[in-house]
Amino acid sequence: MNKQNLFKIAGLIMVFSMLLTACGTPATPAPAAAEPAKAVEPTKAPEAAAPAEAAKPTEAAAAEAAPAAADHPLKGQKIEMSILGIGGWVPSRLGVDMSPLFAEYAKKNYGYDVTFTFQEAPFSDLFQKANASLLTKSQEYNIIISDSQWLGAFAEEKAIVNISDLIKTNPEFDVKWVSPVVADAYQVYPDGSGIKWGLPEEGDVVVLYVRQDMFSDPKNIADYKAKYNADLPQTFEDWEKVDMDTFKNISEFFTRKDQGLYGTAYQYSKVYDFMTMFLYPFMFSTGGDIWDPKDGKIFGILNSDINAKAMEANREMLKYQPEGALQYDIAAIVDAFTQGKVATAFQWAAEGSAMIPDALKGKVLVVPPPAFKQADGSLKRVYSVGGQPWVINAYNDDAHMRVALDFLKWWYLPETQLEYAKRGGNPTDAATVNAAGFEDIQPWFKAYKYMMTSEHTRDFWHEPTYSTMLSTQQEGFTAYASGQVNDAKNTLDWIACEQQKIQFEAGRTKIEPDASCKNIKLDK
Amino acid sequence: MHKGFKTTLYHIILWIVALIFFAPVFWIILSAFKTKDQILSIPPKWFFTPTLANFVDLFTRPNVGTYIRNSLLISAIAVLIALVVSFLAAYAFSRFKLKSTSLIMFFLLSIRMVPAAASVIPVFLMYVALGWKDTYPGMTLFYAMFSIPFSVWILKGFVDGVSERFDETGLVNGGSRLHVLFDVVLPQVRPGLVAAFIFNMVFVWNEYMFNYIIGGKTTTTVPVALVTWMLNQGGVDWTFMASLTVVFMIPPILAVYFFQKYLLIGMTFGTVRGEI
Amino acid sequence: MENVSALQRTAGKKPWHKKLMDGFDNSNLFPYCLIIPVLLFFIIWNLIPTLWMIGMSFYNYAFTTGAPEKFNGISNLIDIMNNDTVWGNLGRTFTWVLATTGIETVLGILLAFLFWNSAKLPGRRLALTLLFTPMLIAPASVGAFFKLLYEPDFGVINYLLSLFGIAKINFLGDLKWAFPAVTLVDVWMWTPFMILITLAALGSVPKAELEAAEIDRLPWTKRLVHIIWPYGKFVLMLGILLRTIDSFKTMDLIFMLTRGGPGNTTELVAIGLYRKAFEGFTMGWSSTLAVILLFIAIAFTSVYLYILNLSNAEKE
Repeated sequence: MNKQNLFKIAGLIMVFSMLLTACGTPATPAPAAAEPAKAVEPTKAPEAAAPAEAAKPTEAAAAEAAPAAADHPLKGQKIEMSILGIGGWVPSRLGVDMSPLFAEYAKKNYGYDVTFTFQEAPFSDLFQKANASLLTKSQEYNIIISDSQWLGAFAEEKAIVNISDLIKTNPEFDVKWVSPVVADAYQVYPDGSGIKWGLPEEGDVVVLYVRQDMFSDPKNIADYKAKYNADLPQTFEDWEKVDMDTFKNISEFFTRKDQGLYGTAYQYSKVYDFMTMFLYPFMFSTGGDIWDPKDGKIFGILNSDINAKAMEANREMLKYQPEGALQYDIAAIVDAFTQGKVATAFQWAAEGSAMIPDALKGKVLVVPPPAFKQADGSLKRVYSVGGQPWVINAYNDDAHMRVALDFLKWWYLPETQLEYAKRGGNPTDAATVNAAGFEDIQPWFKAYKYMMTSEHTRDFWHEPTYSTMLSTQQEGFTAYASGQVNDAKNTLDWIACEQQKIQFEAGRTKIEPDASCKNIKLDK
Repeated sequence: MHKGFKTTLYHIILWIVALIFFAPVFWIILSAFKTKDQILSIPPKWFFTPTLANFVDLFTRPNVGTYIRNSLLISAIAVLIALVVSFLAAYAFSRFKLKSTSLIMFFLLSIRMVPAAASVIPVFLMYVALGWKDTYPGMTLFYAMFSIPFSVWILKGFVDGVSERFDETGLVNGGSRLHVLFDVVLPQVRPGLVAAFIFNMVFVWNEYMFNYIIGGKTTTTVPVALVTWMLNQGGVDWTFMASLTVVFMIPPILAVYFFQKYLLIGMTFGTVRGEI
Repeated sequence: MENVSALQRTAGKKPWHKKLMDGFDNSNLFPYCLIIPVLLFFIIWNLIPTLWMIGMSFYNYAFTTGAPEKFNGISNLIDIMNNDTVWGNLGRTFTWVLATTGIETVLGILLAFLFWNSAKLPGRRLALTLLFTPMLIAPASVGAFFKLLYEPDFGVINYLLSLFGIAKINFLGDLKWAFPAVTLVDVWMWTPFMILITLAALGSVPKAELEAAEIDRLPWTKRLVHIIWPYGKFVLMLGILLRTIDSFKTMDLIFMLTRGGPGNTTELVAIGLYRKAFEGFTMGWSSTLAVILLFIAIAFTSVYLYILNLSNAEKE
């Protein structure tokens, strides 16, 4: 590249000129004069480092790596692997906490020593960190726990290994998942193409955490019965039948501001996808959609009346939530729930071990979140899918690529997955999830298994433009939730216009933004 | 007697003002000695059995030592480089009345005004092309650049205040120009150097975004570590945040305590005439 | 006396390297040698990247789409000109700069006058250190902890308010409160800086003239206008300039506190730009906005320097 040469020359000029400047200094005994020389020194290092960094083997390594336990090419070597994961996210942390088990396994079966280092960043910042690193073709992180929506960007940049190709030579990665939604959410980009880029690390869905100690309190049962002429749901099966109208009653019933107790909690934070993930269920479950992945149409689909109603319904729920709910993110919900501020909370299944600390053991029931009543009287619930895939850095050198593959193969061994489940992670392979007794391993597994189907959960776009599209709608959604704007339909119009424009300009769709978009403003 | 009372009252008011500003910091310091439940409890716990467990936990975490070392090394070296470079330039601007002086001084200052996100974009593009991302020199020299404008401004003020007669005498007596520069002028601008050092050090020390974007796992500094490791087991890890914040604030606070006089004189940009 | 001893040391210097240095010393290049390092820094870390950025601003280029950069003339610029979000953010940023810098300056000056002549304060050094601590703490920490302090259910501030019978306020989530609440944090952090600057400015005033004024029993207003202001204004203006600069750039703090929310009530231009550049990796568009901000920065600086030069000229 021309630019690269230009900068090399500039760098050389700088080093030379620095030396020139320093030329006067060696002759003088003044102590401080040594310092300009120090300024020169560091500039030389990157000059030398740059070319070495540039030449990196790529995907080739992925293809040639075949399992050969007998005489493993890395036998006797010491390898240090680096994983980038999501900060504060139990399942992501588990991947690393369990890595010593792999080290043992590798030592025994392959004969090499491996250690793992772990880097992390919160959801909101991890994409920047990962992508900024991958853009330099660096193998700073050998394996990355990515959020499902990032697949598009990583894949388009060719920064991650194509798993579909990998499966051809490594059939171990063709695992049977518990539901097609697993592949759709964590593997495939572009949507519907069947090309796989990731391997599920953890499956996740929105579930409802219920303070069973409050719900089974005889006084609450009696009071509720008296007020609404209905029974407070007590069991998993009761909750399966709960719809939003009933849930509103329940939330109203437990909202007792004088006692500092509130009915429920959703996320409304502007950070990352927090509000989006808890608003989408209102749309998905009432028949709304967000785009057409085939032709990239957004305007006309997202800004429907159904979705506008869904936004209104979502905002209405605020009155049963603590004052701070508009700022609620994953962590805030954990705090509110475990500190007894709310009777129920919508939260990721992945947060199970944080939502049910030792003090609350046996007092929490985890159930499917409320359904939405359809026109024909049937019940439907479609909630957002969470969870993350592993992706493999395509710039890994041969040795690291080899270990990454060995590690991931080990990851999908039945005993590894079972251990993962016992430590609080949500497995996705059919063998583990469908095994007898799975539902009893963790208190939230029954609800997780119930929800982790194409019928009950779905993901949103995996487009490379996802982060810009996401921040646009986060702005619109939070503006509406906080009351900065009060016309749900107009908010959706604005978001749809902006997103259509983003997609069009990025060349992801041929559909231009609607002509009416010129006059649509968020705060009209 | 009456006057004495007034003075006492005046002194009490001053202390109250200082303590009001310090109160949130004090609360953070208290938090560092609490358990997470105590930090979150309302009404706040003013009396509790302090625990050192947070600090023990902090220093047994992997990498925390590396982050602190990175912070110390990168910021100290960056600011030192900046001071040397700036001192040379300040001397040149002050003594030789170069035609370009005001133009360069002007550009230096306006660079500092550009939002970090804007100034990091081109540098990021450049570092990607050159492979300088996540290297110590790349990080240090970038911070040095950011410390130069203010240092030049402050040091030029001080060098202006040193009479040219010193230079002349030095040269007449047979000293070289570099000798004049470092042995004669340098000691006289010490307050400016200290002020520039502390001021820039605080900036680099606490800087988050540049390190996040053009740094990486080897050059991570404490502010980035604070943000990236702040969550734990699904909640904000308040004990980690509090204890690391407390450890991290010690160096600048000590610097301000011990070099306070220099700092106050230094911030006059060499125009000190009265009592501070 | 230090200076004298320095000269004596000079006098006793053995000129063993003198010949070598002579050529260097007498050369006209010496002053240029001195500024070469600064120029190099300037060229490598500013000029070249900035030119690159200006070049990039004419392209449609996003890292994430994997498509090569495409020249699209000034359409990025046109897009930004017609972009309500950008203008909204810019407007909010100016309000922010005005509010924070204004309050900090006024408060800083008042408190500095309070601390002036406090030489006899017991433990003055400690008191001043405590006073200056807010600006020494990483904005990342400040943001995280103030978020907790402001929290309606777990926050100390709401608890203290409740002691006075004031109902819970969701400072960071409420439309009316978010902006003032964030402003308050910035004021807390940076008023100490303005105190420091004002104290320094007051230190620029010659003691003799103040004593003379004391003897003449000059009224306060006259002392301010005729003695303190002419000497102190240079440092004060420079301090305000530095504050304006940093306020214009604010990002870490708000990022931690609200991420610009709720809606866009605390969204500043730096945050919007960061999103586009490092969440969306749309480098072309972001470069254009960055260039615009660069020009705004230069314009700001020019105005201040113009004022500074005026006051310098007056002084001389």
